[in-house]
Amino acid sequence: MEVSKKKTPTPIELIDWLNDEGVLELDWDFPEEGDLFAAGLDSMAVMQLVVAVEDRFGIELGPEDLTKTNLATPTTLAALIAAKI
Amino acid sequence: MKRSAEVFDVAIIGGGSAGIAAALAAAREGARTLLVERQGYLGGMGTASLVHTFCGLYLLRDEPGAVFANPGIASEIATRMIAATGLGPARMGRLDVLPQHPVEFVRIADELVLAEPLLDLLLHTQVTGISRDADHWELALAASAGPGQVRARALVDASGDAMVAMLLGARSSMIDAPRLQRPAYVFGVHSQRLLDDAARLQTAGLIVEGVRGGDLPVDALGLAFRSSGRAGENFGTLDLTGGATAADYDPLDASCLTRLETTGRLTACKVVAWLGANSEFWKGAYVSHWPIHAGVRESRRWIGEYVLTGEEVAAGRRFADEIAQATWPMEFRETARGPKLRYPEGNRAAGIPLRCLKPAGIEGLYVAGRCISTDHDAQASIRVMGTCFATGEAAGRAAAEWVSRPERATPT
Repeated sequence: MEVSKKKTPTPIELIDWLNDEGVLELDWDFPEEGDLFAAGLDSMAVMQLVVAVEDRFGIELGPEDLTKTNLATPTTLAALIAAKI
Repeated sequence: MKRSAEVFDVAIIGGGSAGIAAALAAAREGARTLLVERQGYLGGMGTASLVHTFCGLYLLRDEPGAVFANPGIASEIATRMIAATGLGPARMGRLDVLPQHPVEFVRIADELVLAEPLLDLLLHTQVTGISRDADHWELALAASAGPGQVRARALVDASGDAMVAMLLGARSSMIDAPRLQRPAYVFGVHSQRLLDDAARLQTAGLIVEGVRGGDLPVDALGLAFRSSGRAGENFGTLDLTGGATAADYDPLDASCLTRLETTGRLTACKVVAWLGANSEFWKGAYVSHWPIHAGVRESRRWIGEYVLTGEEVAAGRRFADEIAQATWPMEFRETARGPKLRYPEGNRAAGIPLRCLKPAGIEGLYVAGRCISTDHDAQASIRVMGTCFATGEAAGRAAAEWVSRPERATPT
């Protein structure tokens, strides 16, 4: 459904979703401010993330969006997606 | 071949990380040793396949500071590598790894092997047959001059593909194709600028754009770049499915490997050309180096006196006859979309029993490297080069020790 597709995710929802998509394997208690790079977000996982975000939220993340700051934590990633929706 | 009359104590088949360590260990134990390698240099995955990280060298721990899990030939090679590259261990997520340079690894392997007076090296040689008489293994060899043979009292199979099991018709196993660890095609890329983390992330975004726009094949989504640590020099690592579908991958089939090599090159060329045309960073970049052999992570495995399981690795089980510690988490690459890591409980290392290096019921034969006797899950931990050094060293030592046993002095 287009309506729910566009819903802005919370950081906690993003953690679950990243696990479900197989982009990352995060512990159930992974913090909202946890370091996604330390948790395994490498450049190949970033490509999966971009593809999955496009499928799920209908937005295209471009090279300029993929900065260390934007991808640092579930919170910053949720903010990046929110800004694009 | 002039070698036909020679009899060695120990012959090692395959000169990758396991075979190098096995040969050094056997020769240092006093065994007259022969190391047979099909390529023109040693190192296997770490040289011919351009795999540029030593994994499994260090204990798994939360505290900072990398601690060798299996001191010995592994730490000897690591120390020489650090001196050559100037790069120490790096923490990637929870793991300590050592960046390694394939060119330096070739040289280090040469230096170590040539320094051993009891060790003979035979490059450009394939083993095509194995038979046994009362007291010797006889190896049929193939080189450009034609067939030859050589005899040895004990053998170490460090071929990666359990070639000795195939040649002897001995018990071996291979997981069904859809679950095999996918292969990696690694190539060198020269860039005008230094590839830092920011550039790597941006490159990931560019590749997705290229795939989205239909300019790049979907295979490109399995590609990651990393700087070698030297100016302008980078490695591209492309995880491939290995066939039209996962079920079509056969790492032992030459036709499949041929498609793998050509697909890897074609994809690499397309991506590097496209990045050069579409980004400031990659302007002027070019492919600088091809591997001799795509990186095969898993193929045929021996079934030995003991089969180490993934559950035992996960639990950090120890054994009275263990010869090395497995410290790398089980790294599953069953798709071409990045690793899934399974860590052991409490960061515990698992022991690798000597029985995993001994084919059941075959005397004077040992196995080392990624084809030792484990199940598919445990192989996902023990296949890495750091652990292969350790199983190689243990196999070489065990083979030399077997040859020197007093009961073998009595003619049979």
